[in-house]
Amino acid sequence: MSDKKNNLCEESYFSEFYIKNVQSATNFAYYKSGDSDAALDIVQDAFAKIWENCSQIDYTKVKTYLFTTVNNLFLNTVKHQKVVMAFAKDTPALDKTNQSPEYLLEEEEFKIKLQNAIASLSEAQREVFLMNRIDGKKYREIAEILDISQKAVEKRMSGALKTLKEQIENI
Amino acid sequence: MKKEKEILKWLDGELSADEIADLKQSEDFDTIEKIAHYASHIDTPKINAEEALAAFKNRKLTKKKTKVRPLYFSTVFKVAAVFVVLLASAYWLFLNSNQTFETGIAQTQTFKLPDNSEVLLNASSKITFNEHNWDKQRDLTLEGEAYFQVQKGKTFSVKTTDGVVKVLGTHFDVKQRDNYYEVSCFEGLVSVTYNNTTVKLPPGKSFRVINKQIEKTDDFDAQTPSWLQKESSFTRVPLNQVIAELERQYDIKIETQGIDTSKLFTGGFTHTNQKTALESITIPLQLSYRIKGKTVTLYQYEVQ
Repeated sequence: MSDKKNNLCEESYFSEFYIKNVQSATNFAYYKSGDSDAALDIVQDAFAKIWENCSQIDYTKVKTYLFTTVNNLFLNTVKHQKVVMAFAKDTPALDKTNQSPEYLLEEEEFKIKLQNAIASLSEAQREVFLMNRIDGKKYREIAEILDISQKAVEKRMSGALKTLKEQIENI
Repeated sequence: MKKEKEILKWLDGELSADEIADLKQSEDFDTIEKIAHYASHIDTPKINAEEALAAFKNRKLTKKKTKVRPLYFSTVFKVAAVFVVLLASAYWLFLNSNQTFETGIAQTQTFKLPDNSEVLLNASSKITFNEHNWDKQRDLTLEGEAYFQVQKGKTFSVKTTDGVVKVLGTHFDVKQRDNYYEVSCFEGLVSVTYNNTTVKLPPGKSFRVINKQIEKTDDFDAQTPSWLQKESSFTRVPLNQVIAELERQYDIKIETQGIDTSKLFTGGFTHTNQKTALESITIPLQLSYRIKGKTVTLYQYEVQ
């Protein structure tokens, strides 16, 4: 691996890193802000910082650096607001075989409840929960990216689940 | 939340098919399953990575290049730094080595100069000289009192704020205190320069200036200054100078009450016994004293 050291300054290696991570970094910014336009801007700025400082960044930590930078830029630029996220239009129902209108309506209602419940999560819970759910990241990977322990990730996951379950069942 | 551990493992994709089947049997798992399912279908901004990269590269970006210095360059600096340090220390060691000897109250010190001339430093005195230049110039600066036994050689100068003493090779004592300057010659010939007047002193002669007035002094026949024998002796010296000397030898503060301190005193006191010393001064002058801590007050006997 040591031969890859400092390759971050090499355009081909940087591009590879960029393509690999731009989507999940943008998602991450989106989980924080709920603003899809601002998300990509922030991520582009973060990549620019990495490129500018490519010689000083440890390549093994560059992913953490990327997400930390996104986080910091987000804190600097975006005002905290209620983050309401929409579902993809083609979201399949959990039970694909059941196409009865009652079931589908029920599921739509559930989705609205879930949407509101996710908006009520703390930022820390939401980003961890969604990185796991949407980006399919393992706890270990999330821990590394956020520079926290895996135990902390699990705690946030469980906290998020609890809040979501309570909110959905109470409404 | 029931089966929290299993649920967390399931979400992390660490549960086997059998375990998942187990988990699905547990009650109110369906809500969790729905949450997990629908949450993963939240819409996120879809990024076309290639396009984004192209847009990114269109930005005017400059890499902050770390300056790469060839190794030999820093080696040159290291060597240069070592030289600078060496030169500086050499300068301090050999060229600018000002040596200082200093004594506190009630201390004396004996030391040899580079040419083996001997210096005895009395209490509260200080001598500074340049060790390196000593061969060329036997110059030193004195504050206080010292006795010199100078080896024969080039001119030996003792500079004080009051005057300069020049000798070739003799034994002499220089005393420079506040408003008091005295040079006594014990051997050889001493030349004293004070305010453009130069006086040559043969053995047994003194030159004394009190309050900027040159005083006439009597001859003496001592072979060495009395303070070398742990005594201070005075011939027709104002009382305030005697008191100042007493303070230097005993680390005490002396106050006077109704006494004319310009009165001349002839006599001496020992450096080894404070009581005896005080008595040697007070009895001849018909004074009395009382001691309070480090302060001694002298007063007229009759007054009390």
